[in-house]
Amino acid sequence: MNKILKIISASLFAVLLIGCGSEQQDPTETVLEAQVLAAYPISELTEELIWETNLDDPIFADPQAIKGGTLRMYNSAFPLTLRSVGPDSNNQMRTLVQGNQLGLIDMHPVTDKVIPVLATHWAYGNDGKTIYYKLNPQARWSDGKAIRADDYLFTLDFMRSPDILAPWYNNHYTTEILEVKKYDDLTISVTGSTAKPKADLHYYYSISPTPRHFHILNEDWVKNYNWKIEPNSGPYKITNIRKGKYLDLELKKDWWAKDLKYFKYRFNVDRIRVKVIRDEEIAFRHFMKGELDLFPIKAPKFWHERATGPLIDNGYIHKIQFYNNIARSPFGFYLNQDSKPLDEPGMREALASAINFDGMLENVLRGDYERLPSFNTGHGKYSNTELTAPKFDLDKANALLDAAGWDTRDSNGIRTKNGEALNFGITYGTAIHTDGLVYLKEEAKKAGIELRLDMLDAASFFKKLNEKTYQLAMLSFGVGYRPAYWQHFHSENAHKPQTNNMTNMDKPEIDELIMQYRAATAAQDRERLSRDISTLIHQQGAFIPGYYAPYTRSAYWRWLRLPSFVGTAQNSSPFDLFGNTGGLFWLDPKIKEETLAGKKAKQVFEKQILLDTQHKVQ
Amino acid sequence: MSLFKLSPIAAKQWQRFKSIKRGYYSAVIFIALLVLSLGAELLVSNRAILVKYEGNYYFPTYGGIIPGRSFGLDYDYETNYRDLKNQIGENQDNWVLLPPVPYSPLENDFQSLEYPPYGPSMENSHYLGTDTTGRDVLARLIYGFRIAIGFSLMLLFFNYIIGISLGSMMGYFGGWFDLFFQRLIEIWSNVPFLYVVMIIASIITPGFWTLALIMIVFGWMSMTWYMRTVTYQEKAKDYVMAARACGASHSRIMFRHILPNTVSLIVTFLPFSITSGITSLTALDYLGFGLPPPTPSWGEMLSQGIQNLDAPWIVASVVGSMTVVLVMVTYIGEAVREAYDPRKFSTYE
Repeated sequence: MNKILKIISASLFAVLLIGCGSEQQDPTETVLEAQVLAAYPISELTEELIWETNLDDPIFADPQAIKGGTLRMYNSAFPLTLRSVGPDSNNQMRTLVQGNQLGLIDMHPVTDKVIPVLATHWAYGNDGKTIYYKLNPQARWSDGKAIRADDYLFTLDFMRSPDILAPWYNNHYTTEILEVKKYDDLTISVTGSTAKPKADLHYYYSISPTPRHFHILNEDWVKNYNWKIEPNSGPYKITNIRKGKYLDLELKKDWWAKDLKYFKYRFNVDRIRVKVIRDEEIAFRHFMKGELDLFPIKAPKFWHERATGPLIDNGYIHKIQFYNNIARSPFGFYLNQDSKPLDEPGMREALASAINFDGMLENVLRGDYERLPSFNTGHGKYSNTELTAPKFDLDKANALLDAAGWDTRDSNGIRTKNGEALNFGITYGTAIHTDGLVYLKEEAKKAGIELRLDMLDAASFFKKLNEKTYQLAMLSFGVGYRPAYWQHFHSENAHKPQTNNMTNMDKPEIDELIMQYRAATAAQDRERLSRDISTLIHQQGAFIPGYYAPYTRSAYWRWLRLPSFVGTAQNSSPFDLFGNTGGLFWLDPKIKEETLAGKKAKQVFEKQILLDTQHKVQ
Repeated sequence: MSLFKLSPIAAKQWQRFKSIKRGYYSAVIFIALLVLSLGAELLVSNRAILVKYEGNYYFPTYGGIIPGRSFGLDYDYETNYRDLKNQIGENQDNWVLLPPVPYSPLENDFQSLEYPPYGPSMENSHYLGTDTTGRDVLARLIYGFRIAIGFSLMLLFFNYIIGISLGSMMGYFGGWFDLFFQRLIEIWSNVPFLYVVMIIASIITPGFWTLALIMIVFGWMSMTWYMRTVTYQEKAKDYVMAARACGASHSRIMFRHILPNTVSLIVTFLPFSITSGITSLTALDYLGFGLPPPTPSWGEMLSQGIQNLDAPWIVASVVGSMTVVLVMVTYIGEAVREAYDPRKFSTYE
């Protein structure tokens, strides 16, 4: 399994799924009913525990929300499986499945404190790596069965099983999550491999239950469970699929958690239909015809050009640009320091000064994106906000290159040294970047640097990354709740294939800080160390920060309503469907009627293009 | 055409060719375009044709770059001649002569307050507008044509060398040699070419030569069948036996005696091979498996044009030029075939 996907999955709490009979009755189900599963052994609780809970934080939903209706949206592909682990499970529609598998606890998106979900209480063990949970006795799977301690213990067996063909999960649940113990049906503990600060334990050592009564693990599991709908614990369940056409999710009528404090007034729509429309342009036409309620229009082309006209001017369709404040993916150029001449700090600095990201953002991307300041951005106190991205500076680049001996130019104006021309290959994996890179290439020529654009298809791109045979790689990593340095910058992962140290960073001083960061248990120490590491990495110049969008943009029909506060700072979009920020919006049938009638009668409503900057980081 | 002494037959064929007007004029225009595209740097380039500065003459078109400092500008990279022209202004002593289209096919020209693609404009000398990154469409069209035609001719040359020699040998030697290669070619031509290109393009970024090599490896087969058949025919004729009796070697017979007699066949196929070379390169570029960006290419422009139908000048330019070129080549091919046909009038029943 490739590393990039691993990291992306690592940012999510461990979860699973797998479906039970969807369209047809499945024979194994009845067999399972009859099968009596032996319970896991009960351990003895030896520690004195102080149980904590949190029901005092404010709710983050709008009491005005109206329940009901069908949200119609689209996706460009139908998933190859409904499993959330195993081959092909890392697909675009995964959140529909995984988003409905709750964790034990979650983070409050406003206060950033722990809130109860499947667990009602939690307590910390004295060893700093164990966390105890009291389970909510009301919790039910979508098939009505109670969620009990055994389902959590089964998670470990399940995730460690070679039958699921998911090496990353096999490894994570062996080396990171060491043990899950059961004290009675409603009390468990999770033990991880290393001690972590108390505030972060939940992030690292939380797991999700797996419906034990549903899975039969054997070598055919991947095949047998490909299209089965796994019982889940979240608000929606998949009720209807037509492969290649659409997928329906329905709100559970008597969802066990619907009256829990932090779930109130959320998950308002009764049904979510995800249509498969393979072409974005065609999907947009569907949206403009009113066949979809919602359309993401992040790309400048859509926001500025496509999503304009009478439908918007007359107020039938609203647009929103919503700024959030979440950790930013480290997108940019990763310089392979094992590839000459990138081993010289001066050359890396010269190259960074010859890459005109700012000009590209302004000219090619219409000033819609912001320059990423450094590798670690948006992690709150874990980020050093004083770091800034290197500026395009030809004088500096020229001076550095002259000093490094690249002081002659060939007939094309490219610098040479000992008869060799100064060129760097940029490896990247999607055609979306070509326009921007073409601009960077022309700009770098001014400093006498030739950039070669090596575009590969996704699979070969990841292969090349894993083998580290690139010079410059343009890519991004998924980010977790806390910055992770060891995998990206520790020398243990340098100079060898199949690791995430994309820059082949090998600096003892960075190693030392990373080890301290991993071992530190006080939040303040960790924050300080994280900032220090960020600074050192930044000084090395092996990562040239690219850009990011600090917002999402959507177009939506007028009847789709948002809370008065629009969304929390943690919302990746105000229309998040699931997770700790999901389900805030609702559909208003009266307004829908009014809008459709008004559209026929050419009535004009108030035009609304909302620029929500309340969470914008200045 | 009296430069060459044409044999009576060739002269007759030439007359015949000339008499087919649309083929003849297509050939004239096509060759003119080809010659013009070879000198494209003088017509379409961001480098000036001639600069007079402080009493010196500069010819920047060919050769190395002339840094801005040579003209009193404050940078070491290549002079921006359009800016230079504006700066020098109406000065009598110093002047800049720019090509009719003063843009290179690779350079991005951004205008303030507006985002590309920009529509056609005489004022900015973007006669056919720009693409989505502000590169001149006409410039890319012309350089793209040159690359496509060059690629196609080279492909043709190698495909024909391999196809003709192997085909003649198969026809000439016959027997096991013929059988073996027949089977080999049958198997080889069943390898799906597009998949092979896709697989290779996903592993490495193909350049001009790698792409040409792949296409040669999979493109030489079709010619062998025709050559094999004609060689079989010719081999049975008396002149071959006579040559044999005189002690001519196999290769001499094949290439000196038989080959000239199959020229009509080869010539008839030529124009169509050129077309197929152009279309396959365009198709590959369109699918994204062709030449690496930012090489100017018709296929890449076509795909860009289709994604940006609201900028119709991109798609219209490339579809228009492609149609014109392919129609011209087809007319030429038609006329050539006609000229080589010994029957002046054919009736088909």
